[in-house]
Amino acid sequence: MKIKYIAVALLTLASIGCKDDFLTAVPETALSSATFFKTEADFVQAVNGAYVPFRQMYNERAWVLEEMHSDNTYYARNTLYGAVDATENVADFAIPVGTGDGGAKVTANDNVLVQYRLNYVVIARANQILSLIDGITFSSDAVKNNLKGQAQFLRAFAYFDLVRLFGKVPLHLTPVTGRQDAPAELATTDQLYAQIEKDATDASKNLLNKKSQEPGRVTSGAAKTLLANLYLTQKKWSQVETLMKDVVTNDGYSLMPDYNDAFSYTNTNKNNPESVFEIQYMEGSAGYNGNQIYRFLPSPITADEIKPITGTSNPQPTSQESNNIPTPDLIAAYEAGDKRKDISIGTVTLSTSLRANKVYPYIKKYARTHALHNNTGQNWPVYRYAEVLLFLAEALNEQGKTADAATYLNQVRARAGLAATKASSQADMREAIFKERRVELAFENKRWFDLTRTGRVKEIITAYGARVKASPADYYFPAGAVPPPNAFTNLDDYYPLPAVESALTPYF
Amino acid sequence: MKKIYQLATLSLIAGIVPGFAQTMQQIESKRSDLMAGQLLALHVPRPDLSYEIAPTADITISGKVTDEKGDLLAGVSVIVKGTTQGTTTDGTGSFRIAVPDTRATLVFSFVGYAKKEVVVGSQTSLAVALTPDDQTLNEVVVVGYGSQLKKEVTGAVQTISSQEIKDLPVSQIGQKLQGRLAGVQINQATGKPGQGISIRIRGQVSVSAGSDPLYVIDGFPITGNIAQLNPDEIEDLSILKDAASTSLYGSRAANGVVLITTKKGKPGQTNISFTAYTGLQKVPVKGRVKMLNAVQFAQFKKEFYEDQLLPVPDIFQNPSQYEGKNNDWYDALLRVAPLQSYNLSISHNTEKSNTSLVAGIFNQDGVVLNNKYKRYSLRMNSNYNLSNKVAVGFNVAPSYVFDNTPRTDGDRGTGILFNALHTWPIMPIYDANGELTKYNTLPSSTGNIFNYPNWVRAANELVNETKNTNLLGNAYIQFRPITGLTLKSTMNIEYTNTKFFFFNPSTATSAINVPIPTTAVSIRQGLESMSWLNENLATYAKSFNDHNFELLAGFTNQKFRSEFTQVQANTYADDRLPTIQGALNIDRTNSQNGANQWTLTSYLSRLTYNYKGKYLLTAAVRADGSSRFGLNNRWGTFPSASVGWIVSDENFLKTVPQVSFAKLRASYGVIGNNNIGNYTQYALVNNTTNAVFGSTVATGAVVTSLANPNLGWETTKQFDMGLDLGLFNDRIQFIYDFYTKRTTNLLYAVQVPQESGFTNFNDNIGEIKFWGHEFSLTTKNTMGKLKWTTNANISFNRNQVVSLAPGIDRVYGTFHITQVGQPFGQFYGLVKQGYYTSAEDLKNSPIIPGRSAIGTIKMKDVNGDGVITYGGDADDRTIIGSPFPKFTYGITNDLKYGNFDFSITGSGSYGNQLWVRHLYSTANLDGVFNMVEGVKDRFRVQNTIVNGAAVATNVITQGAGQFGATNNGGNYTGIERDWNSTQFLADASFFTIKNITLGYNIGAVNKLFKSARVYASCQQVYIFTKYWGGPNPETSGNGAGNGDGGNLSQGVDFSNYPVPRTYTAGVTLNF
Repeated sequence: MKIKYIAVALLTLASIGCKDDFLTAVPETALSSATFFKTEADFVQAVNGAYVPFRQMYNERAWVLEEMHSDNTYYARNTLYGAVDATENVADFAIPVGTGDGGAKVTANDNVLVQYRLNYVVIARANQILSLIDGITFSSDAVKNNLKGQAQFLRAFAYFDLVRLFGKVPLHLTPVTGRQDAPAELATTDQLYAQIEKDATDASKNLLNKKSQEPGRVTSGAAKTLLANLYLTQKKWSQVETLMKDVVTNDGYSLMPDYNDAFSYTNTNKNNPESVFEIQYMEGSAGYNGNQIYRFLPSPITADEIKPITGTSNPQPTSQESNNIPTPDLIAAYEAGDKRKDISIGTVTLSTSLRANKVYPYIKKYARTHALHNNTGQNWPVYRYAEVLLFLAEALNEQGKTADAATYLNQVRARAGLAATKASSQADMREAIFKERRVELAFENKRWFDLTRTGRVKEIITAYGARVKASPADYYFPAGAVPPPNAFTNLDDYYPLPAVESALTPYF
Repeated sequence: MKKIYQLATLSLIAGIVPGFAQTMQQIESKRSDLMAGQLLALHVPRPDLSYEIAPTADITISGKVTDEKGDLLAGVSVIVKGTTQGTTTDGTGSFRIAVPDTRATLVFSFVGYAKKEVVVGSQTSLAVALTPDDQTLNEVVVVGYGSQLKKEVTGAVQTISSQEIKDLPVSQIGQKLQGRLAGVQINQATGKPGQGISIRIRGQVSVSAGSDPLYVIDGFPITGNIAQLNPDEIEDLSILKDAASTSLYGSRAANGVVLITTKKGKPGQTNISFTAYTGLQKVPVKGRVKMLNAVQFAQFKKEFYEDQLLPVPDIFQNPSQYEGKNNDWYDALLRVAPLQSYNLSISHNTEKSNTSLVAGIFNQDGVVLNNKYKRYSLRMNSNYNLSNKVAVGFNVAPSYVFDNTPRTDGDRGTGILFNALHTWPIMPIYDANGELTKYNTLPSSTGNIFNYPNWVRAANELVNETKNTNLLGNAYIQFRPITGLTLKSTMNIEYTNTKFFFFNPSTATSAINVPIPTTAVSIRQGLESMSWLNENLATYAKSFNDHNFELLAGFTNQKFRSEFTQVQANTYADDRLPTIQGALNIDRTNSQNGANQWTLTSYLSRLTYNYKGKYLLTAAVRADGSSRFGLNNRWGTFPSASVGWIVSDENFLKTVPQVSFAKLRASYGVIGNNNIGNYTQYALVNNTTNAVFGSTVATGAVVTSLANPNLGWETTKQFDMGLDLGLFNDRIQFIYDFYTKRTTNLLYAVQVPQESGFTNFNDNIGEIKFWGHEFSLTTKNTMGKLKWTTNANISFNRNQVVSLAPGIDRVYGTFHITQVGQPFGQFYGLVKQGYYTSAEDLKNSPIIPGRSAIGTIKMKDVNGDGVITYGGDADDRTIIGSPFPKFTYGITNDLKYGNFDFSITGSGSYGNQLWVRHLYSTANLDGVFNMVEGVKDRFRVQNTIVNGAAVATNVITQGAGQFGATNNGGNYTGIERDWNSTQFLADASFFTIKNITLGYNIGAVNKLFKSARVYASCQQVYIFTKYWGGPNPETSGNGAGNGDGGNLSQGVDFSNYPVPRTYTAGVTLNF
């Protein structure tokens, strides 16, 4: 009988159900959305994470779409290596265009796709932060505002890149939660401008200025510059003037005495007094490095020819296609005596090249010597104080204050070792500033947007294209090679939207 | 939610009137020879096992047991009916047993013979003759959460007993089942000992969830691998195929269920048996890839240069110099290897307890150098009757497996067998001093662009070992408060600890083109997992008039947790000390740890009913709550129903004497597949997305995936219809099943536009339909002195993708496409039509502009646009083949003559293709690697100089049509090599004689042995196939060499470990 009771007791014990949370198993070695975005520290990390896509963007793609897609740089055809269509097509104004299911122009070009996607990664990360940060208590409002400001800046910055590249893009302001809300309708250029204006304005108020901010993070000065860049694009000149004067007067920036020092070195001179915002890299095997200058090397280049440029101890030859090679047009644009020319552009003779004279120019201003082969640490300039001055000069001139404009333009020219501008009419001054921007900001991904916002794409690129086609050898084609027949046929101000994305959304 | 299920369960129990079912008694008596233990006890109250000790004066009965022809039978079980008292006959067929009184009944049972009951009466000496048992339909089969009379089973269940699959000298149960099961495709994808068996029931596949069946050992759904289970521990297996049979396993049932019952103590006093076998394994020469030998290779190279009017490098100018100097790198990795197996089984039975013990040692050296596999295992199953109402039982089964397998499988990075095929046969394995070479390389002027490490060193010097400790255990308590009602609670645990150690010393490597010395690397992994399951079941059985009911209800909780650690280190000062601390560098990105956990709470219930034993109905339902399912979708319900009609019990068929048995079955049910990952429903945050600010690295965290709180299981709805037929007194038994099923809610990482910031969304989407026919036939061809039985089966499985995600009509695999409206995972590429034979042919045929020439491969212009295009809008690629067979089949013949027995089993597959992966490089006409022998009969065309340029114009020979011309370099030869086409497909239909066994039963040898048996067998005897891509037409692999390619990419031959032929001799001794 006793056994029976023990049995009943055991069976009863076994039959008691488990606790309600028995069915909850959250990942233990990865954070999940269930456990993240709860503390101040979480938001600090989330903001840090939002900066990360720019490393890849500025290393691989931005210069293809925003510099090589202009008369500043071209590729150096290497027939030994084979075709590199995606990049050549951008430089040749010949990317294939189709029509998406939603009726928009689309392209399969990989550079367009990746640039588009990376911007949206930044936007999605910023949206996560901005949608949740107000619900969390922080140690101080200043800390919260500074984090909010960074997210607002990054979102505005990414949309500003997108609107200038594509004109119309989907507008996401809250985190996507599933399949249904992943695609969004295309917003108009004006809707996008309005959102960028709002975010950049908020950011300029929320962010710390350069003195107080951790170096490398965006600042109130950077937000004002971004906002001014928007107004400049919209031709709202007085707003540009106000913002830029504010930056000049209050934010403590200055031109580096030597143009060469305006750009960072591998480990030093980063975020210097001239720097308003730059993309941060770090040399080393941890993966925070860039390798732009290797992408800009003319080739085929032997180990011995690389070594003086990179300074690496274990140089290896490269035989790829060469990209972002300064055009003869750009080289000619430097006035005599301009110190910036030799700082910005070097030349190298490639013994194994098929080009007749084997001499190529290359971008020198980022070519800082370093230790690890194919691994560089110099930052990429996005906004410099020199551009603030040029923004201000342009805004003043457009409002008829041409003499005031000259003051700021001449600050930039003086540093370059050039005399004061001779331009006195508004039209001459406009042209002088346009030319100054080209050489001062060469290889900083400014040229294409200068062409589009001034409406001069057709004028300038048509002439440039004719020159390339007329004398391919001057544009680094080896004997017998020429630009493709469809080169310089697509002179639209905007890129078509990426076809791969088009296939996934009903809206374009 | 949970409350509702509890209530439902209770009310189901309450609705039943106490009583006892006659059917259940029947099951009990049939079952008793099979087991006296736990599974039975799950739902059947034992018929009054009387535990009172007989008061006085036992009567001793002795006697002899013979077969129908008067031959003495040893090992026959003799028990006193209604007790566990018993004995077995000795080598002379004699027995002696004490019975309480003259009313006692003795039950004689012996495998293959009908059970016989004899009332003792006044006799003290008995002569009992047993007759062969033809009543196989009265067998009991194990089904989910219980057992049933085979006759009354309404689902599609197939069983295999250990008797049917004894004497097969293989390490895994899966290998033993090849060729024996209808509707179950069992392939051996790699010959690595202890690995590589793929079991697919009714062709089930999924896009991204698992396709393996659920394995249940003694009622416990295990999470680990059955490959390491000692096959000798298995008493029988039941394969549950249709939804009605599997629905009690709910969200884990969609891929089918394999129930494994281990050996239990048997009636009779004490049985001890010892089995041993030893054998040799060898890879047959037939089937290996025929490669160019050294002379042929040099000849190819010579012609390669000559055809292009180029100077021939010195080393190829005289091919005959390599006569007798061939280096067969593939063969150098192989050896003849021994294997041994020893098993000791003890079964002990007393009035109140029974115990079964199986101890095994299995030791297999692989046929690839330095491959060792050892398994030590033990299982002890015990049951105790504490009173006539309470019983408890304990099973415990520890095992330890040691495995060192060189990196044999996969492509260039890991597969030394793959790499061996590619190595130039003029490169020496041994140097002039007889030492193994370090690596081989030749000047680039010879066309050699790679370093070829010595693969023999790779096999011998790399350490790639796994040590696995495994413990399965369970305990139960069972209580029968009233007649007919059984309450049972079980606790099960499964513990595994796996330690993996890999060391690549500086002197060797498994990857092509790595010069030696290389960087030494060590990898250490530890994986520990624990799963527990608590089940609480109530069974109630009742009969009144002709109505027989049994009701099962219960609830279960299961939890699984695993933790793993990996440490990878590299750059060693000394290869002799591959410790972590001995490394100069710890590879942080490859050093990590993690944990995984899931939980499952379930309620289940089943009603079994029959009227007069001929109208059968079963209805079952399981509700699963799982931690894997999204918060909004936590519970799933899986119902099923099945009906059966034993037509042969109807009067109108009883008058047809030819039909001894006929049953019609039909079932329908809903089952699930929860192999969707443990945390797939959650949005994950990566906290190593670090930013740099100035010279500071700042920790960054980003959300990397989208949460789906609605995520759920994959749902399969299955209909099954079957016919069981016995003719001519069951001399012919026939089973037919037709099934159709639809799998919906496929787990699918749906691509989303990346404007969302994410790449995909894990959702349940899409639909695949499956259908198929299964036939099995068992015939007793002769029943005289020669007993000859044949068992054959054939199955046809088909599937079609009905839908994928919205806007997505195709998913690509490695060389595959899964497209709506087509079968799953088909091979995809261009259609080869031969070679351009002349300038005229080139002019009149669709070509690849700039890349077609005389002697280059000619593809079909599928879209008719006049140009051959690979990919893009004008793609000429199409579905070109299938890794899935049109049908699979198996046949077994068993013969017995006197003391001899003979068995032969074959297994086959028809209509499937394999993608010959190595051909990409072993038919690379640029001569970078060694090539398949067929290349010597390639298309040959010689260049001439036209306008100063070399052009291929003069056709020397059109060759055998399999390989093209070498001229003009990669721009031309690259088409044949790089563009996926029918060139790479090979018919992989096969019929393999899996096993031949010849045995001799010695009977009683002396007083020590009750009986003995010796046998010789051959495994993997011969493969009838036209497959030319490698030795194993069953193979399927991936480039990393660690799996079968995944659901979307089945049927790729990566030159995996070959399956050897094995010759063994064995002995079984019963004491």
